[in-house]
Amino acid sequence: MVHITINGKVIKATEGEMLLSVIRRHGIEIPALCHHEAIEPTGNCRLCMVEITREEWDGWKKHVTSCLYPVEEGLIVSTHTPDVIEIRKTILDLQLANCPDSEVIQKMAEEYGIYKTSYEVVPEGDNCIMCYACTRICEVLGRSAISAVGRGHRKEIAPPFGAEPPDCIGCLACAQICPTDVIPWTDRDNTRTIWDRKFELISCKECGRQTIAREFADYLIEKRNIPREYFEICDNCKRSELARKMGEIVARAQEVAI
Amino acid sequence: MTQQDVTRLQGIFGRNPREPGSLIAVLQDIQREFHYLPREALSETAKALEVPLSKVYSAATFYSAFSLTPRGENIIRVCKGTACHIKGADLLLDQLESGLGIKPGETTPDLKYTIEVVNCVGACAMAPVMIVNAKYHGNVPCNRALRLVKKA
Amino acid sequence: MRIDSVDKLNHWREKCLKKRAAQKRKVLVCLGPGCLASGSDEILGELKKILSEKKIKGVSVESIKKTGCHGLCARGPLVVIEPEGIFYSRVKKSNVAEIVETTLEKGELVEKLLYKDPSDEQTIVDYKKIPFYARQQRISLRNVGQIDPDDIDDYIASGGYSALARALNGMKPQEVIDEISRSGLRGRGGGGFPTGRKWATCAGIDSDIRYVLCNGDEGDPGAFMDRCIMEGDPHSVLEGMIICAYAVGSREGYIYVREEYPLAVVNLQKAIDAAHERGLLGENIMGSGFTYDARISRGGGAFVCGESSALMKSVAGEIGEPRAKYIRSVVRGLHDKPTVLNNVETFATVPVIINKGGDWFASIGTETSTGTKAFSLAGKVCNTGLIEVPMGISLREIIYDIGGGIPEGREFKAVQTGGPSGGCLPADKLNLPVDFDTLTEAGSMMGSGGMIVMDNRTCMVDVARYFLNFLVSESCGKCVPCREGLYQLHGLCVKICEGKAVEESLALMERLSKVIQTASLCGLGQSGPNPFVSTVSYFRDEYLAHIRDEKCPAGICRDLITYTINDKCTGCLACIEVCPVDAITGEKKIKHVLDQEKCTQCGSCYAVCKFEAVDIE
Repeated sequence: MVHITINGKVIKATEGEMLLSVIRRHGIEIPALCHHEAIEPTGNCRLCMVEITREEWDGWKKHVTSCLYPVEEGLIVSTHTPDVIEIRKTILDLQLANCPDSEVIQKMAEEYGIYKTSYEVVPEGDNCIMCYACTRICEVLGRSAISAVGRGHRKEIAPPFGAEPPDCIGCLACAQICPTDVIPWTDRDNTRTIWDRKFELISCKECGRQTIAREFADYLIEKRNIPREYFEICDNCKRSELARKMGEIVARAQEVAI
Repeated sequence: MTQQDVTRLQGIFGRNPREPGSLIAVLQDIQREFHYLPREALSETAKALEVPLSKVYSAATFYSAFSLTPRGENIIRVCKGTACHIKGADLLLDQLESGLGIKPGETTPDLKYTIEVVNCVGACAMAPVMIVNAKYHGNVPCNRALRLVKKA
Repeated sequence: MRIDSVDKLNHWREKCLKKRAAQKRKVLVCLGPGCLASGSDEILGELKKILSEKKIKGVSVESIKKTGCHGLCARGPLVVIEPEGIFYSRVKKSNVAEIVETTLEKGELVEKLLYKDPSDEQTIVDYKKIPFYARQQRISLRNVGQIDPDDIDDYIASGGYSALARALNGMKPQEVIDEISRSGLRGRGGGGFPTGRKWATCAGIDSDIRYVLCNGDEGDPGAFMDRCIMEGDPHSVLEGMIICAYAVGSREGYIYVREEYPLAVVNLQKAIDAAHERGLLGENIMGSGFTYDARISRGGGAFVCGESSALMKSVAGEIGEPRAKYIRSVVRGLHDKPTVLNNVETFATVPVIINKGGDWFASIGTETSTGTKAFSLAGKVCNTGLIEVPMGISLREIIYDIGGGIPEGREFKAVQTGGPSGGCLPADKLNLPVDFDTLTEAGSMMGSGGMIVMDNRTCMVDVARYFLNFLVSESCGKCVPCREGLYQLHGLCVKICEGKAVEESLALMERLSKVIQTASLCGLGQSGPNPFVSTVSYFRDEYLAHIRDEKCPAGICRDLITYTINDKCTGCLACIEVCPVDAITGEKKIKHVLDQEKCTQCGSCYAVCKFEAVDIE
């Protein structure tokens, strides 16, 4: 257990925890775009920056991304100093120039009093904020079908050669984790399309509803040792089946009681 | 890829430890042998080193030493280091671009020339510097640039 | 011959020295990057050809020694004849036969190739007396330009590997660290972190594996000191690394060399192989029981890989994206193991400190920046080249006394130090002593040692634009302040160069710069705005001239100038030939006409005109 001071209040935290989760647990709002519990932090978006200092630093302070900074005994953290707010404002201002159509960014910027970017809107911007959440979740799933491509301002997230990604299993994790919702996908006529690749969707044996992509099911069967039958019936039907069985048991129990 | 290309590629894999850590070294060897990174070669690299193809592609596009398109027979590298910049590297480029009809990073349709801009080749004392194939040319006056290229 | 003890090394050195003494005459041909760009490879070829055909007493092909950069690149190709130190400059292939006949055969001088001091037209024969060399003190460059980099025995004859022998036999690892700490040596790569402290931290961490890496990714445009050391004296780098490895307890490491330096890779590999063969690298070095091996890791052409965490990722075969370094790489570096990373010049300095002592090194330079520093002097200065000077020397001494001032009698305007992370210092800072802290205080930084002199034909807004453009394409693209911030800063700078900016832009740019500096993930972003910040603080008027008057006082920014041809035109056709857009027409001996509609203001005509017939407005 370590003790840190956040905005003047002494707080207990567990060693190894990152500042961001401690700060948020204590009800202090800090914006972040690239942070997600399911993936390792990388510090791309810089919005969660806070100011830190220590008694013995003698007034010297520095700014760190709270998602990546582990708690330390005696750390003094300020989450909303004028400098910190200036950093967040500028970053949101820059992001707004980069993705002017993103509602998420617009809303966050408005919370910091920015309604229009001070900068030139980036031509051919696509609302992608380069948080790497998609590539990181894909890696966590063991696929790494997409990656950051290129360098510098031209960098983008794309499958190899900009073509159908051979390692994609159509699980949609990338699209679902994306904070600005820029990865397009569709489910139509038993077919899922994402990254220009088409996947056959499994239909539920009971109700005919589509469940998951066949490649995704195959992957889970192979890597996670899940029985094939598991994917033949959708979750809904599984639940109704369970409810029906439970009903039968209850009814039989009542009969017995009578 | 021809059978010969496959053999060359296998040779490269043989020279480097078959592990993900060899990725950059393998790509460099491919670039050196083929003068660019053919698509099939990248797929083979992914398999040989057991690295996801996306990571191979990511590295191939991150480092400027790599080219994904075939390059010309003659590579003209114009240095754009600070010293070269203030000593008129842009003028050299103007001459080459108008003389060869291509921009930096491009190759002439007959695959004879490729112009590349490099950040600094460390020959700053002789700025502006141009390298035609492996030959360094220092203090290049803009009106000689094209002649030096055609002589190569 | 394997050297398996200190005695054997000493014995072998005696032998090498004897061999060296037997061959009194030496003809040194500089193959450094500058001389190579002036065609010194052809000089070497010609010399070999003539000497293999001719019989001269005491001279043979064996007398030719190809060396790394000798220093005064501006006068290249250079040929130096030892033992007298006869300095022949701007040697052409056609001069070689004359040098052989006159100097090597008859023992006389080829007057026209000797150095003439521009100030008094005095001829100087011995290079050591030329002001450019006389004012220098060479420690890290001690052998560069003097020895044959391919010949390990030449290095050994010059005292090479004696510091390693001293460390391995008679010094405890901690004593080595103490000696380096006592010397006050600070990392020559730019940051200036105390080397001894870095080594001590690494040695103090409990770990089964530690790495010693050498940063040869000299990415700062305008810097070529490390290239010259790697090419011209690779063993000094290796020796420094092995000493470090012994001090911190490392068994393996890498030298990360940038892609643009193919010759450095070749020479370092030869050095590694030769050191292996001699038993000075690898298993059981010099019979001491200590083992360390170094391999070369070639960079892929990315400036950001000069940053320590990006470099380590690149060595591990990944893309060079820096990570947040709340845990320093000396604690968790390559493959998450404790790692010492020093640059080429730092390692090349180490053997001298071990031999002569930390106190000796600390007695040179200033109190907080000890020793000497190598610089590459380039841009608008007469004596462009490679130099090494004691810390604390003034910028003026470097630029005027060593550098010979500004060519064509133009006015000094600024000196750029520290590469894209550094800044530009104006004329009133010329008396500043050159050391880590003073340069940082003045708004620039020491950096790795690139020093680019600018005259009044250099536009400072254009210089800022140039560096920002460089950084936009070299940013790894991971974090927002660097990727988007530098992109916008560059865009605003371009607007100024085009005369399309408003005065408020400067305030916006200054605010943005501050955020990029504090919020970026790595050093590239944190120092990225420096070229703008330093130029706007020292040359604000020039920015305002672009914005308010839509004028580029230096006559560089293409959108703000027009070229015209005046009556001095002799009709020589030179500008017509060079104009890339055929905007100039005319006939021989008749004044040429420039079509303003077609003109793109590239300035090629101005550059080639020998009669001052092109005006810039």
